[in-house]
Amino acid sequence: MSRVTQTALVRDDRTLYEAAAGLAVGLSGVAFVTGLAALLNIVAIDDPVAGLELSVLFGVVLLGLGATTVGFGVASRFDYVETGAQPSAGIVAAAAFTAIWLAVGAAVSGAAGLGTVGQLGVGVFLGAAAFATTAFPREDIGSTMPAGAVAVLCGLALVTGVVGPGWEQALAGYNATLFGDTVVPAVVLFASLVTGWSAAKAYGGFGARGRNVGAYVLTYLVVGSILAVLVGLVAFVTVRGLPGLFNGFSVGGAGLLSWPFLTNGAGLLADIAGVFPALLGTVWLVIGAVLFAVPTGVGAAVFLSEYAEQGRFTGAVEVATNGLWSTPSIVFGLFGAAFLIPRFGNQKSLIAGMLTLGFMLLPLVLITSREAILAVPDEYRDASAALGVSKWQTIRSVVLPAAIPGVTTGVILGVGRIAGETAPILLTMGGGVLPAKSAAPNVLGGFQLSASPPFVSNPALLEATSALPYQLYALITAGLSGNIQNPQEYAWGLALTLLLVVLVFYAIGIGTRYYFRRKLHQ
Amino acid sequence: MSFTTLQTDWRASIERRLTHTRAFVDDTDPDALAVVLVSMGSLLAAFVGFLLASAWTAVPLGAFLIATGYGWARHQALLARAVTFAMTTVTLITLGLIVVFIFAESIPAFQYETTTVFGVSVPGFGMFAQARWDAVSEPVRYSLLPMIHGTVMVTTIATLVAAPLGVAAALFIAEIAPPRVRELVKPGIEILAGIPSIVYGFIGFTVINPWASGAFALNGGSTYLFVGMVVGLMALPTVVSVAEDALTSVPDVMKNGSLALGATDWQSMTSITLPAAFSGVSAAVLLGVGRAIGETMAATVMLAGVPRISEPLVNVFYGYETLTSLIARGYGSANGVHESALFAAGVVLFVTVLCLSIGSQYIEARMRRRLGGAE
Repeated sequence: MSRVTQTALVRDDRTLYEAAAGLAVGLSGVAFVTGLAALLNIVAIDDPVAGLELSVLFGVVLLGLGATTVGFGVASRFDYVETGAQPSAGIVAAAAFTAIWLAVGAAVSGAAGLGTVGQLGVGVFLGAAAFATTAFPREDIGSTMPAGAVAVLCGLALVTGVVGPGWEQALAGYNATLFGDTVVPAVVLFASLVTGWSAAKAYGGFGARGRNVGAYVLTYLVVGSILAVLVGLVAFVTVRGLPGLFNGFSVGGAGLLSWPFLTNGAGLLADIAGVFPALLGTVWLVIGAVLFAVPTGVGAAVFLSEYAEQGRFTGAVEVATNGLWSTPSIVFGLFGAAFLIPRFGNQKSLIAGMLTLGFMLLPLVLITSREAILAVPDEYRDASAALGVSKWQTIRSVVLPAAIPGVTTGVILGVGRIAGETAPILLTMGGGVLPAKSAAPNVLGGFQLSASPPFVSNPALLEATSALPYQLYALITAGLSGNIQNPQEYAWGLALTLLLVVLVFYAIGIGTRYYFRRKLHQ
Repeated sequence: MSFTTLQTDWRASIERRLTHTRAFVDDTDPDALAVVLVSMGSLLAAFVGFLLASAWTAVPLGAFLIATGYGWARHQALLARAVTFAMTTVTLITLGLIVVFIFAESIPAFQYETTTVFGVSVPGFGMFAQARWDAVSEPVRYSLLPMIHGTVMVTTIATLVAAPLGVAAALFIAEIAPPRVRELVKPGIEILAGIPSIVYGFIGFTVINPWASGAFALNGGSTYLFVGMVVGLMALPTVVSVAEDALTSVPDVMKNGSLALGATDWQSMTSITLPAAFSGVSAAVLLGVGRAIGETMAATVMLAGVPRISEPLVNVFYGYETLTSLIARGYGSANGVHESALFAAGVVLFVTVLCLSIGSQYIEARMRRRLGGAE
């Protein structure tokens, strides 16, 4: 991949311009982050900053950004700096600005009290104007003028206090009201995004390179926000869940380690309510699903990639597998309820949950195993065949061992996914809201042999059992209340436990992949 | 092709099969053949027994285990082939059973909602011709329209979130990111896929709903807006991983050609990579839409649970019920036609998502063919 190199010729007279544009991008970034903080109520929009209300300061910043952005375009257009601006900003930018200005026009005229016709008229007029400004002049004007104007308009509204703390606007017919507390940050986020993109284009000197920079800024922002959401979610659940998870936790004493939240039930006898039955339920659920799905999925993958000829049968299996993969989990739940429950004692049971999740795990295992087996180079098979080894021997001692890393990774990631599934087990497995420790399933000790059919039975498998995700759902529907000391803390602890169980599976799965990949590349 | 040639064709193919089978039987050790036949036969018997809910299912299952165990020790190669074949059919059988069972359970509801259209009585038409869902008070009607409206609202918002962000993130991972950053972002997005939906729902229920209630002065905090955004976040990883596969499957030769002409990375992406992978990327978005339609727990926990169409139709500030949350909320307490109507909701979901899945597979297959077998 080539990185665009900057030649000395282009750089000469543009250092100041570039520095200013870079500064504008940075300032837009700061405004974006602060706006986000205001939206999340980390800072209030009427907090005084440097003698000004935050919302007014936002307005000043947006005004400045808007004016500078327009300035970049004008400076380039009148050749104060040399840029690679093209004849037009392009149809995509034009469409985007048309939409933005149409929305701005409709919103502003709506707030000013114009009717639907007026709103539409103003919106269409401004949209058309934005289209003309973007599409017809040279690119440097086209991609800065409408953007700067948006920021200036937003800035004016904030500076003059037309929109600010205490502002509110009832949405007629929607039974909802917009308040300054949410609208101001939203306006700031939006305007800073627009100026950030425009300034980034100016930084790149417009043209192909400018578009490159502008697009990269937006993409990095998108990916950064996704990662920030991920980290934020995990951190939030962790902070809220730690007190519950470590309630009564101690090291030393009678046992080496005492962790009541993970080893207690939630009955009257337990001083500190714990999630042991649900945790054990999840463990057995995963074991059961894996026992059903992994041999089946790997076997099917072997047949499909080693024995079967590509044809109608393999095509049908592939379509069915992908169809199963995308089937909603609640449909699996309905299927389990209609198919498995009548066949296992007509009540919600652990084994029905195991098999339902097994059905869900099957396509995941099959798809990843098949990919792993297909990734084994044909040379391995040919070498083995050349030695006179039979087909099955080749599969068993050459193909499968080589495919094991991929299969393992796929299985672990799949397990992580089904361990957190709620909808299927809600319909097939059930269980109590706050099960006591005695409700924990005793699968190993439960097998019984009898002389009459069905000869083998296991009451533990046939009972409704709780699992972590189900218990969390049951707690929520019970209104986060119950016969325990602190249901809120308990529920967050439970959510953290569930999240940790799933994340551990993912960490192991991803770790295994890296380990094997590094081994392969050595 | 005329009828007779078709018939002879058919006959010839069967005859060929028969000769093949005969040759195979002659070549194979009779002991091995017997074991495989016993093993597969008893497996089939066990499956039939299970279907009929017979208490004797354990007998053929035991026979299967014994025959397979013996055969594994003596005739592994042949048995392995037979057993893996049996395992392959499991996916087909599962899909078939899902279709049969949820359709069968939904028949009473479709019959109950029979409506006459132009003198012809159409079963199930009443589910889509009026908007009343009430399982308790008279008149008892089971219209799916309110829930379909909810699902459409949530899915639209979710797609608006997941499609642009997902495609941008896929472009980033496939084309833009330096290797080190990619090694960080890719697992990050995978982990995002792993966060259980009930955890999202729990956060939505305890944090987002109360916040939305105050921030927009709403009656209650259930909104399609925020459910849609949460569901979009959940559908995002699907879009990213499938779109990334499509983008990386564009042959490097094409991109390098563009770069060699002096195009910037972004120009190569927008004029070479994205157009070439367009069908794959749209398949990714379709699959993301499918995920959003099927997402259950966050919707169940965050929505109000009242089967109602919002006023006006596009009011995103109030959230009532989706197809999935209807099933999850109502299943335990429903019986009779009500329960059957929940299965009917399941049928609508299943058919919609299956169509999306098959559609995206078709698009992907076409893209592979067009890129000249670059897989």
